Amino acid sequence: MTDFDDIEILLVEDNHNDAEMTMRALRKGNFLSKPSWLKDGVEVPEFVRCEGPFESRNPQQLPKLVLLDQKMPRLDGLNVLRELKGSDRTCAIPVVAMTSLNQERDLTETYRLGVNGCVTKPVQFRSFVEAVALIGMFWLCVNQVPAE
Amino acid sequence: MNATVEGVLSANARLTGEIDVLKAELDGFTYSVSHDLRAPVRAVLGFARVVADDHGSALDEEGRRLLAVVQSEASRMGDMIDALLALSRIGREAMAYLPVDMAGLVYEVVAERAVQEQSLFDVGDLPGVCGDRVLLRQVWANLLSNAVKFSSRTPTPQLRVWATRDAARVIYHVGDNGVGFDMKCADKLFGVFQTLHRRARFPGTGAVLAMVKRIVHRHGGTVWADAQLDVGATFSFALPDEGTQ
Repeated sequence: MTDFDDIEILLVEDNHNDAEMTMRALRKGNFLSKPSWLKDGVEVPEFVRCEGPFESRNPQQLPKLVLLDQKMPRLDGLNVLRELKGSDRTCAIPVVAMTSLNQERDLTETYRLGVNGCVTKPVQFRSFVEAVALIGMFWLCVNQVPAE
Repeated sequence: MNATVEGVLSANARLTGEIDVLKAELDGFTYSVSHDLRAPVRAVLGFARVVADDHGSALDEEGRRLLAVVQSEASRMGDMIDALLALSRIGREAMAYLPVDMAGLVYEVVAERAVQEQSLFDVGDLPGVCGDRVLLRQVWANLLSNAVKFSSRTPTPQLRVWATRDAARVIYHVGDNGVGFDMKCADKLFGVFQTLHRRARFPGTGAVLAMVKRIVHRHGGTVWADAQLDVGATFSFALPDEGTQ
């Protein structure tokens, strides 16, 4: 499980194509370390607690940014968010919700649960790359989180 | 006699209710279909771009040309889907009904465009109406950008905005001296994805005027156009004149 060590970005996305696009966009935005990719929200709690398949992960290594798809089959974005923001250990990790479209009612709930940003995945690849690069730039290079 | 009138009225009310339900269903359908279509189009565009960037050198010139066709058509499809979403949203969102300063809206929209375009506009007196500010702003933005676009190939584009009144309506007009269109096609003008000019000359998805029509209809108004090919076009919309008080 060394793949999951030394991580900065955690990508939670069930759509393989969107995940591949996001990883490419990150690379194009010069975020060279490969993000850790989880294919469903149910894996997130195990991942941050270093349990189950992530047992050998270094518990000190928390992601510096979570890119969170909203619609996922087993545990959706809202519930992942509730989990992450509900724990002192993980509440300061910036979470950016990646939605297919901004549906206002969903967004209100997302913000209530403490999301740090919401982004609609643009259809045009160029805009997609720009959006991902901006997200990475702000949350990894500008934003400040509590010292560990 | 009264019983008959009541019967007709209640049947009328029931039908109106049914129409509203059907309209809402149609908007919901349009919304969810276009929403679900976004993901595959995003993938087509993204992966076509990857082929072009990472494997472009492995293709010969014809291969790259064909790939560019795929990209531009998928991109157009993406724009069309987003236009459909915007259209369905007009019908779905709750409408505010407040006094709106139409002159202020026009100046706002004009100011947003480039300064050199601003000098082209001649804006007359525009009375206010009651309606949804955000939606009416969209009407002006669409009509003005439409006028700018279709007069962009005219050596000295002239755009005029003015208003008239009749018994119960305020009528707003946006005129240009652009390419105009053949009045034989006037009935197609406000349909979704209708473009009367070749896309290469005037790019666009053909949803701008469809949006205008939907918004004006939601305000209980009507919209129409007069034009002459290569001379210019005037788009007009009439809204109920209920004052702004």
